Amino acid sequence: MEKQVIIEDIKKYIEKNILAASVKIEADTDLKNAGIDSFSTVEIILFIERKYGVAIPDHKLVPENFKTLQSLAATVQELMS
Amino acid sequence: MQSFNKALLPEHVILSGADCFHLVLDKHAQKHGAGGNVMRKVFYFDKSLSFEKIDTLLKSSPVIYWLCNIHLCEGILFQKPRWEYTDKGNEIIFNQHKAAIENEIPAAILARDITTRSERFIEADLVNYPSGACAFVISWNHILLDAKGTTLLFEHLNQLSENKPQDFDLFFPGPGKKTNIVTYIRNMYKVKYFVQHSARPPVFSVAEKKMKSEEGITAVKVISFNGEETKKINENAFKAGSRFGPTLYLIACCSHVINQLGKQKNKSGDLWIPVPYDGRLKGATGPLISNCVSFLFYRIPQTELNSVAQTVKYLSPQMVSQIKEGIPQRYTMFLNMMRHVPLWLYYFLVSKTGKGVFASFLYTSTGDNFNDLRSLFGEPIRDINMIPALTFPPGLTFVFLKHDDQLSVNIAYSPDTINSNDLTFIEQKLKETVLSNY
Repeated sequence: MEKQVIIEDIKKYIEKNILAASVKIEADTDLKNAGIDSFSTVEIILFIERKYGVAIPDHKLVPENFKTLQSLAATVQELMS
Repeated sequence: MQSFNKALLPEHVILSGADCFHLVLDKHAQKHGAGGNVMRKVFYFDKSLSFEKIDTLLKSSPVIYWLCNIHLCEGILFQKPRWEYTDKGNEIIFNQHKAAIENEIPAAILARDITTRSERFIEADLVNYPSGACAFVISWNHILLDAKGTTLLFEHLNQLSENKPQDFDLFFPGPGKKTNIVTYIRNMYKVKYFVQHSARPPVFSVAEKKMKSEEGITAVKVISFNGEETKKINENAFKAGSRFGPTLYLIACCSHVINQLGKQKNKSGDLWIPVPYDGRLKGATGPLISNCVSFLFYRIPQTELNSVAQTVKYLSPQMVSQIKEGIPQRYTMFLNMMRHVPLWLYYFLVSKTGKGVFASFLYTSTGDNFNDLRSLFGEPIRDINMIPALTFPPGLTFVFLKHDDQLSVNIAYSPDTINSNDLTFIEQKLKETVLSNY
């Protein structure tokens, strides 16, 4: 799956369900700075597992993989390959 | 300084479900203890601040003016409680004090109560120390503002001092979403079953009695960690398996300390800890007024308390499954529905369900809310402390607060629950546990 498609999927989910309407994110926005906290990270993981049918293993649950939409999409791509 | 248009202030604000729950806690606090449901935030500065300048600023805030000019209408049967704006012209009470001991908050401030019958729901104090340093203390009734709300209040005060425009719509809660009655009822049963099962007896609590003594007070002990120690705590959390920030690690550490304290007193059992969860959308800049907090509920049996890493591993799926099931959102819906229940009945139901025990101990964290708040009134902040409203029982609350990348924990306790030996034990063990080598 194209990385850009994954980025758009996750972005749409986060903007619709987690972030306030006034907050906009781009592929390289630091998600923590946008207001994403630990509980929201769990929500994002659950969305990814549901949407792409992949389980994120413990060793992939590191802050670097959840820093931006880019890094999240790269992790999903790696797990799907 | 800006003046504001009083006509823009809302005539009434309906209490949220979480506000009403605090109304019940307030009733409980008045019935059981000397201290009420009052929260305090303390900002320390290295130099003295101008009393007059802060006084003028506080009096120019529309939010503070509103908080000083409202009264509570509990409503008749099945009516939701609401705040009604009175516009009596009350101004905030702002006092100046001198303290002989550095960093100490005068007992007169800590003993002052703000009840639901008070004329004003927010007060402020400036404490001057011999070194020339000072502390700004703001106290409010928890029914009106939660931790995130106070972050927004200080941002508002900073904007006010910089003469930036104010958006009144962000101060007050908007109209709530309407949910159909069938969804409400279905949800109510699900939440009721979940919470009752999670909190099923027997639960071990630090509280030995249900009533606070007459002279019962709220005492506070602060443990501060420097930047290096804070970094190590975060690394420890990760090594112990806390993958989504240090929260589960800190809850596990507190649980271990309290469990060991219980063993010293020949008390043991499952631990049950409700942990607050901010229900606002992330990055939201409002509402400032009203509690938007829900809860996650953790239960830890004795068999899962052999090591901190084991406890974290046990807590992690509880957190994930509750988020997956939408428990915090469902609990919010449940609390919203409870607003229609007359207060006396609500209080009876809460007291009966908990059999007088609300939790093993209480845990709360301000997360990163105050980490980047470096200045107030244009002056650099040296340190921030939070003195929570102490729910009794259990009479012990751990408040974790991060400021300037340095973690601190405020242990708020009632001497009826925690004696001086207990406190020394908790302080030493907690430091040792969070800073252990994993």
